Amino acid sequence: MKARLAGLAAMTLAAATATAALAEYPERSITMVIPYGAGGATDISARTMAEPIGSLVPEPVVMINRTGAGGATGSVSVKNADPDGYTMLFARVGSHTVNPAMKATLPYTLDDFDFVGVYEINPVACAVRTDSDIASMEDLVAKVKAEPGRISYSSSGVGSLLHLAGAMVLKSFGVEKPLEQAVHIPMKGGGAAATAVLSGTASFICTNSSALASFVSNQQLKPLMVTTAEPVEGFDAPSAASLGHPELEQLVGWTGIAGPAGIPEEVAEAWRGWLAEVVADEAFVNAMEARGSVIRLMDPAESNAFIRGQYEVFRKLVDDLGMRIE
Amino acid sequence: MNAYTLSQAFDLVATWESLAALAVGLVAGVIGGAIPGMSATMAVAITLPFTFALQPITGILLLLGVYKGGIFGGSIPAILIKTPGTPASSATTLDGYPMAEKGEAGRALTMALYASCIADLLSNLALILAAGWLASFALSFGPPEFFTLILFSLTIIAGVSGDSLLKGLASAVLGLLLATVGLDLVYGTDRFTFGEPNLMGGLNFIAVLVGLFALPEVFAYVYAPREIHGRVRSVTGTAASRADVIRCLPTILRGSLIGVVMGSIPGIGAAPSAFLSYSEARRTSKNKANFGKGEIEGVAASESGNNGVAGATLIPLLALGVPGDVITAIIIGAFMVHGLQPGPLLFATNGSLVYAIFMGLVLSSGLLLCIGWFATRAFRHIADLPKSIVMPAVLVLSIFGVYAVNNTTFDLGVMFLMGGVGYGMMLLGVPAAPFLIAFILGPLLEDSFRQAMLMSGSSPEIFFRSPITWVFWGLTVLSLVFLLTGLRRKPA
Repeated sequence: MKARLAGLAAMTLAAATATAALAEYPERSITMVIPYGAGGATDISARTMAEPIGSLVPEPVVMINRTGAGGATGSVSVKNADPDGYTMLFARVGSHTVNPAMKATLPYTLDDFDFVGVYEINPVACAVRTDSDIASMEDLVAKVKAEPGRISYSSSGVGSLLHLAGAMVLKSFGVEKPLEQAVHIPMKGGGAAATAVLSGTASFICTNSSALASFVSNQQLKPLMVTTAEPVEGFDAPSAASLGHPELEQLVGWTGIAGPAGIPEEVAEAWRGWLAEVVADEAFVNAMEARGSVIRLMDPAESNAFIRGQYEVFRKLVDDLGMRIE
Repeated sequence: MNAYTLSQAFDLVATWESLAALAVGLVAGVIGGAIPGMSATMAVAITLPFTFALQPITGILLLLGVYKGGIFGGSIPAILIKTPGTPASSATTLDGYPMAEKGEAGRALTMALYASCIADLLSNLALILAAGWLASFALSFGPPEFFTLILFSLTIIAGVSGDSLLKGLASAVLGLLLATVGLDLVYGTDRFTFGEPNLMGGLNFIAVLVGLFALPEVFAYVYAPREIHGRVRSVTGTAASRADVIRCLPTILRGSLIGVVMGSIPGIGAAPSAFLSYSEARRTSKNKANFGKGEIEGVAASESGNNGVAGATLIPLLALGVPGDVITAIIIGAFMVHGLQPGPLLFATNGSLVYAIFMGLVLSSGLLLCIGWFATRAFRHIADLPKSIVMPAVLVLSIFGVYAVNNTTFDLGVMFLMGGVGYGMMLLGVPAAPFLIAFILGPLLEDSFRQAMLMSGSSPEIFFRSPITWVFWGLTVLSLVFLLTGLRRKPA
């Protein structure tokens, strides 16, 4: 009896191992790290995705916020995790192109991550207060050049997309030293940055169009330019390309999913499939587009090329302007 | 506003879905708020995805219910186990816990509930009646005004220092020092991080909070296990009497006013408001000496101060489209998913929705009273349990709660370290509240100072640019004068 039981146990075990070898990823719950706090753009994007991805993935998908240092704390925790596909990251423009380009002491580089896909693009827009005497990018640049130190722009903090965007836009439009001729005022978070323009603390802001949409439709802020090639709904402003600056099309926000470097091909493949289904989910797309995102899925190779390209552009700008943080 | 819009709004609110959403939200909020480490913010963020499929009014009422329930729920563990469930209820521990120790947990809890509901109602009325006016006031708050307000708020430290101002200041300095850990606002350079990525974001606020308030009690109990099976804190059956409420009413009204003003200014939040209300109550109270030793007025002041913020944070949201704090930022997300843009135009384009929200808010104050009453009845028995059961449970809850914030054991290390610091402070008779205030206000003070300096090109004149700055300079000087004359009168 005992022997038979043992035999049976051995057989079950053998069968279990066989299925384990064949078993498809995932066999257990997947932890998804959101490197920003609850309520931020990345968090809301991730939580919108939680619903469709949760029903697609056969095992539980656990979303956790690991906040701090402009996304660095959460990103490091994923970099240090095993590259087995069970710890993944919601990577964002701030944590994965702006921060690596600006911060010399950042404890990770792009090489530490494998991207399985970028799924969302956020156009960037520049805006001023409606009652401002600045009516166009031309006015803005002329003012910056005429009165150095008078014009300021707000950002959600040092090393944020907003910080870099203000400088990049001015530089593109021919302001030689944007960080000396205009003043950068870092605020705590994107909401505070938009409020700063509204209350007159700063003269202009360049940020994701979604963060400005309600102010623009309420005629509190006036958009000067959007960086995407196509016009942005609700923003009555020229595109950067039409103003003769197509290079600013690189200046967009995005969210993607990454794992630690060295995740198996099987994992990347599984995520590709899931993401393709998520972006076909109507409820997901509607919820995302209502907040001003453009849903655009890139496969791993395309994601890598896109992120590297943006990183190189930002890196060059940072070096040219001496914005590197030691 | 016309009768048609109002009747439409009424139809939106007077449905089972809306009422149920509000009630469910409040219950979820009270429970979420009562769990240490699970802040009201987290509870609202977790609720958000559920609102996508709901009607706009239902979803928004659900979120508002969670928010308001969460702010009140935080006071329950603050009173019963000296662990603020949310940062906003830190000030409630100062008198709430001593009351529970004296066997008056029921009285403290019901007073917290009454103060919360009254302040909540007043805050909602302020939103409905004065949103436009308060919003323009809020917009005139730039970094210089913010700096002077925070400077004035720092005088609170004297109000919560207990017997020795010197010890209070020492505690505050330690708080200021630890608040500098993390990234520099203007240059983005690392400060006191010692190359540790986990420190780059600064010390986790919840870990510091729980470590400082809850753990010293546990350590003290481990060191000297009093009343193992002996005296059990009982007599918790009493509730706050009508006389209590009448006596505390001026305090509650003042706390509500402070909450409304602080709430309508984006970026301050409920915790400083509660502390300011507490210190004002102490300064003007006849029972000044009893504050910090279980004074019911202290509980009323703190809870009216933090709940007074709840309705008022919707002022910048609805009138300007500006999120006043992280919670309202999440609520804006709920608006936008339904294609609604909060801001001045919302009143014109979706007036009925706005008025429906107003009606729902007023209703929520009443519902909070009912739900909170059941919650206090259910929870107050915790105070009857022997410490040999409560203390291990507090430890487990603290560890669980602090881990849940960021899912990292590093924060647990911070919590235990702060627990050690807090225990040391307890033995030396150094109060913990000044530490916490400095830890919250210090970064706000520094940031607004540096932002103002950037604005003005380093000219200090900017700190006197508007009447608001003058008012706060004046208030600061006045509090210092009161403080110094008070010190001189006190026998050394």
